Amino acid sequence: MTIDKAAPASASILVVGGGISGLTTTLEAAETGHEVILVEKNAYLGGRVLQLNQYFPKLCPPTCGLEINFRRIKDNPAIHVQTMTEVVKVEGTPGNYEVTLKTRPRFVNGNCTGCGACNEVCEGEIENELNFGMDRTKAAYLPHPMAFPAQYVISEYISEDDKKKCADACKYDAIDFSMTETTTTVKVASVVWATGWKPYDATRIDNLGFGRHQNIITNMMLERMASSTGPTSGKILRPSDNAAPKSVVFVQCAGSRDENHLPYCSYICCMASLKHATYLRTQYPDCEITIYYIDLRAPGQRYEKFYEQLKKDEKVFFVKGKVAEVSEAQNGGITVVAENALTGEKLRQTADLVVLATGMEPSLASGKPQADLTFNGNGFIVNDFEKGGMFGCGCANKPADVVSSNQNATGMALKAIQTVVGR
Amino acid sequence: MSDNTLVNPNLEFIDEMVGLGADSLKKCFQCATCSVACPIAPENSPFPRKEMIAASWGLKDRLVSSADIWLCHECGDCSTLCPRGAQPGDVLSAIRSYAITEYAQPKKLAKMVTDKSKLPLLTIVPAVWFALMAIITMQFGGTMEKIFGAVGVHWVHHSDAAIAHARFISTWLVDFTFVPLATAAVVVFFLSLKRMVGDMHENAVAEGKTDKQDLDIKEFLKTIPGVLPKILKHKQFNECGENKARGTAHMMVLYGFVGCFIATAIAGSLLYIGGSAGPYSQINPLKWFGNLGGILIVLGAALMIKDRLSKDKSSAYKDWYLLSLVIGLGATGLLTEMARLAGSTFGTYLIYYIHLIMVFHLIAYLPFSKMAHFVYRIVGMTYAEYANRK
Repeated sequence: MTIDKAAPASASILVVGGGISGLTTTLEAAETGHEVILVEKNAYLGGRVLQLNQYFPKLCPPTCGLEINFRRIKDNPAIHVQTMTEVVKVEGTPGNYEVTLKTRPRFVNGNCTGCGACNEVCEGEIENELNFGMDRTKAAYLPHPMAFPAQYVISEYISEDDKKKCADACKYDAIDFSMTETTTTVKVASVVWATGWKPYDATRIDNLGFGRHQNIITNMMLERMASSTGPTSGKILRPSDNAAPKSVVFVQCAGSRDENHLPYCSYICCMASLKHATYLRTQYPDCEITIYYIDLRAPGQRYEKFYEQLKKDEKVFFVKGKVAEVSEAQNGGITVVAENALTGEKLRQTADLVVLATGMEPSLASGKPQADLTFNGNGFIVNDFEKGGMFGCGCANKPADVVSSNQNATGMALKAIQTVVGR
Repeated sequence: MSDNTLVNPNLEFIDEMVGLGADSLKKCFQCATCSVACPIAPENSPFPRKEMIAASWGLKDRLVSSADIWLCHECGDCSTLCPRGAQPGDVLSAIRSYAITEYAQPKKLAKMVTDKSKLPLLTIVPAVWFALMAIITMQFGGTMEKIFGAVGVHWVHHSDAAIAHARFISTWLVDFTFVPLATAAVVVFFLSLKRMVGDMHENAVAEGKTDKQDLDIKEFLKTIPGVLPKILKHKQFNECGENKARGTAHMMVLYGFVGCFIATAIAGSLLYIGGSAGPYSQINPLKWFGNLGGILIVLGAALMIKDRLSKDKSSAYKDWYLLSLVIGLGATGLLTEMARLAGSTFGTYLIYYIHLIMVFHLIAYLPFSKMAHFVYRIVGMTYAEYANRK
């Protein structure tokens, strides 16, 4: 693998996005002998999966899956990784693309050993994007304890004072404030878009009160809290007073399956909330969990089993009916209102913490690159196999879980290879 | 719970609902957002989620007999939040329209009133009738004078003014038309309501929406006076979030009609008891009262039309029929007066002729058109109050 040095002027395949799908496409293509450039917008690989505490349904930490992939990437000379890089435009035809890339400055070069001396002396702090702003991090930081590449990053917002301190502290001459944004072009035969998703902006769901009430959080925020690398070191706490919640309400389809927001099913949120229920049950054996849903979707035999297991739990309750109104109760509690569609009763339930199961919006929904891609009305890439050359995979193509993302990413690796070899 | 329920979908009913503006009803996926969004739905079995599924299953009987449909004021809060664009507000409006047709007798006439293609026929009847009345008044005044004189009353019902409605169509003939028609409308309403209230109670008992076992008509009637102030204040309308302005427009039309009704009743008594015939002087307070009513009707209806045109909500024939009638009634009423003041004999009589045709539409078709809502709504809201619907 090569990192961050100028990518080769040409390669067989360009993979856009270093999340679980992009990693898979990259590895599958490279391990069959093709030269791959992998570009990633963030300073680290792993994407959304890196933010997770556990995968469903096996409840193993995502680090195990990622670690193996990082290892394979590291060992493969045919893979060229460029972080903090985005695609500006793609010109040309299948088999013959010229891609313009834009790379933001990391202010840290390949000499970085990850010693952390800069982080220690730096005083200024920035919002921690990885944790959805629930905590702050120093302006010279390692994005995640298992960030790959394991190199520090310095924010463009660092103060002049901190700049000097960091540069002085670094013993390896790894800090370079002369770095600027660079634009490069590469020639590739095929491009695979694995640009993934972002959580739907919950502040836009006006009636669910996110942003107005502190104790209404999103599922991805809960995921970060549950993670030992998260803002609360793995404890799920309610934001207003950092207390352990005694009751938690999950609001399914928060923005999904809703023409006013995302008209499609985001596929993962039901399983995510079921998984979150297991986090809570493990941390707080007395905590009562209520999941308000329209339809609970646990597709496939393994997910179904996971759901069946939770249904047996006497502290986990399911209510068929969408929460459509929230308000703040006493002591920071949140009252949700829904109609139980099975009994026809209007319910008002007050819980310590409310979790909105927000869905996934394709990253490219806002800010489409200049490339000959076809998008559906919601911003997902529609693959045109007749035309070929460029393909969308994983959540750039459709809302999907990790398993199907990987299957789809593997398939798109083959499609890319077919373009390269001219079939 | 596990009782087998055989659903017999009434497909014809579903089709008719679609024609009445509920073309979105099949989009509903029962998330129940609407029942929470609704600011006036009761806590126990709130609407309109259950109405949505009953509608898509074609459960006609459950819907038309539900008092709940008359509690809905179609403010549109549910439709705004609906994640599927299923427009529960429009569906409930269609159910109400269907219920009016269902309970009104003769059903044939009811069907005609909601059928666009029958509008010419429904209009030709009063047009021919009033043309005949005009011919009688203008050509056979002498003969009529003799006939009326024989029973000791005056045929002539107008002052010395050169232009007077009664010179065109005698007030006697107008009243001979409308008084029996209004009486018939009352009878039709009475018969429909008798059935409807019984059905409403049965429905409420079956669905656990009331704590009353047997329907006590006396108690029910005693509830009405308590409900009327709510209606006059448009209390329910004002709880709407999305469409608050509609409440004001509706209030204007309602008060406009009440004003015109009172003015007409007073004018009638003055004529038949006091012997004072129109047209009255412009400074007569009664004139002011009637004019104000007309203006309120026109303005309110214009606001409602503007609202319907600017919204992406669906408006069916039933909606446009009523709104056109309302604004037409107000406008022709005021224009008749203006033409008379302007001294145009032909203009006055022509507009008055159109006005009479519209009044005929209003009164004769009242129990069958969307206009009947004012009676059904009072009854529905009264029933809910009586039944302790909470």
